[in-house]
Amino acid sequence: MTDVFGAGLVLAASGPEIPTIDDFLPPEILFQGTPFAMNRIVLVRVVMTVVILLVLGITAARAKLVPGRWQGFVEWGIEYVRDKIVYEVMGEVRGKRYVPMITTMFFTILLFNLCGIIPGMNIAATATVMMPLAFALWTFVQYWRAATREQGLLTFLKHECVPQGVPPVMLILVIPIQLLDVVVIRPLSLTVRLFANMMAGHIILALCLSATQFFLIEAHNAMAAFGAITLIAGFVMTLFEAFVAYLQAFIFATLSTVYINLSYPED
Amino acid sequence: MDLITLAEVSGNLSAIGYGLAAIGPGIGVGIVFGKAIESTARQPELGGRIQTLMWIGFGVIEFLALLGIVAGFLFR
Amino acid sequence: METLAETSGIALFIPKVYDIVWSLIILVVVAVFFYKFFLPKFQSVFDERTAKIEGGIAKAQKDQEAARAAKEQYEAQLSNARVEASKIRDDARAEASHIVADARSRAESEAAQITANAQRSLASQQQQALVSLKGEVGALATALAGKILGAKLEDPGVQSSMIDSMIDDLDSGAKTAAK
Repeated sequence: MTDVFGAGLVLAASGPEIPTIDDFLPPEILFQGTPFAMNRIVLVRVVMTVVILLVLGITAARAKLVPGRWQGFVEWGIEYVRDKIVYEVMGEVRGKRYVPMITTMFFTILLFNLCGIIPGMNIAATATVMMPLAFALWTFVQYWRAATREQGLLTFLKHECVPQGVPPVMLILVIPIQLLDVVVIRPLSLTVRLFANMMAGHIILALCLSATQFFLIEAHNAMAAFGAITLIAGFVMTLFEAFVAYLQAFIFATLSTVYINLSYPED
Repeated sequence: MDLITLAEVSGNLSAIGYGLAAIGPGIGVGIVFGKAIESTARQPELGGRIQTLMWIGFGVIEFLALLGIVAGFLFR
Repeated sequence: METLAETSGIALFIPKVYDIVWSLIILVVVAVFFYKFFLPKFQSVFDERTAKIEGGIAKAQKDQEAARAAKEQYEAQLSNARVEASKIRDDARAEASHIVADARSRAESEAAQITANAQRSLASQQQQALVSLKGEVGALATALAGKILGAKLEDPGVQSSMIDSMIDDLDSGAKTAAK
C-alpha cells in the first residue's frame, strides 16, 4: 500500500498520518529560486503534458480512415466534446469556432485530473491554483472577445446587468451583483471549483489509504478490521475520483461554453 | 485527568463553518438539478436550452460553496 | 490543527511565480498541439470518411437514377410500340374493309354490266328471231294456205294482206303473252 501513495506520507506510530494542505504546497525540488522552479505538482504536470503529447500525437499521426479500437475511443472522445458539449449548448454555427478550445480544455483537464489516481503521481496536475486559473482566464478572454465582436461591450453589459422584468428598485442590488458575476465570479468559480475538488479528492483518498496503512501495518492486530474497511473505502474513493475527474472536466468545459454562449446576442 | 481537559475540543472552527456554509448551496444545487430534470421530462424538446440555463444557475449557486472553502482559509 | 497549515492556508490560493510560468507554458504547448496538429488531423480523417461515405451514397443514387431512367425509357418505348401496333392493326383493318367494299362494289357493277349486256343481247337475239320467224312463218303459212286453198289464193295482193293481218294478230298475241 505504501507505494500506492508514497511521497507525502511519513510513517508515524502514534496515529494515522493525516494528509494536510501542505501536500499542495510541496517544496521546490528543481531549479530552486528561478522562475522555472518546479515542485512535485508542477513536475507531475510536465510529465503528464509530455505523455499527452506523445500518446495523442502518435494516435493522430497514425490516424487511419478505418479506426482501430484505440483510435475509435479517441474519436469518440472528440465527437463527445463536439456534439454533447459545444454543439448542444451553442449550436453548430456558433460552436464551430470554439470546438478546438473546448476540446483542448476537456482533454487536458480530464487527463490532468486523472493524475490524482495514477500510482506514482498521486496528485492531480490541476491541484495548484494556477492551472485551473489559466484555463479560466482563457475562457474569460474568449467570452469578452466574443461579446465585443458579436454585440459590442456596452450592449453586452447592459444585457447582462439589467435583466428583463426586474423592478427598478431591485436594480440597485442586481446591477452590482451581475457586474461582479461577469467580471470576477465566473472565472473565479471555474478556478476554485476545479481546484477545490481536486484538493478534496486527494485529501479523502490519502486519508483512506494512510488510515489503511496505519491500521493494517502499524497498529495492533485488533485494528485490522478497521484497516479492511478503510482499504475498501480507498478503492471506492479511487473509482469515485475517476468519476469526479471526468465530471469536473465536463463541468469546466460545459460552463466555459455556456459563458461564451452568453456573450452572443439572444437568438 | 480533570474535567476541563476532558471537555477540551481541539480542531479548527472553520471546518464547522464550512459545514454550515455548504448547507445552502447543497439545497440550491439539488433544487436546480431536480427542477432541470423535471422540466426536461415535461418538455424534452427544450432539453438543450434547459441544460444551458441549469449550468448557469449551478455556477452561481456553486460559487457560494466555493466561497466557503476560500473563506475558511481567508478569515482565520 | 498543524501549525504549518495555519500559516500557509491562504497561500494555496496565491499562485507562485514558477506555478504561473509553468501553467502558462503548458497551456500554450497543449493548446498549440490541439489547435495545430491533433484536431486538424482528426478533422481531416472525419472529412475524408464523410466524403467517402457520401461519395458511395451519391454513386448509389446515381446508379439508381440511371436505372430508373433506363426503365422509363424502356417503358416509353414499349408503350410507343403498343400504340403503333394498334394503329397498324386499325389501319390494316380499315384497309381490309376498304378493299372488301371496293371489291364488292366492283363485282356488283360488273355483275350489273354483265346482266345488262346479257339482256341487251337477249333482246337483240329476240328481235332477230322475231324478224326471221316473221319471214319464215309467213312463208310457211303461205305455203300451207296455198296448198290448202290451191291456186285461188295465188294472187299476191290477197296473199300479202292476209299475211300482214295474221302477223299483227300474232304480234299482239305475243305482246299480251309477254305481259
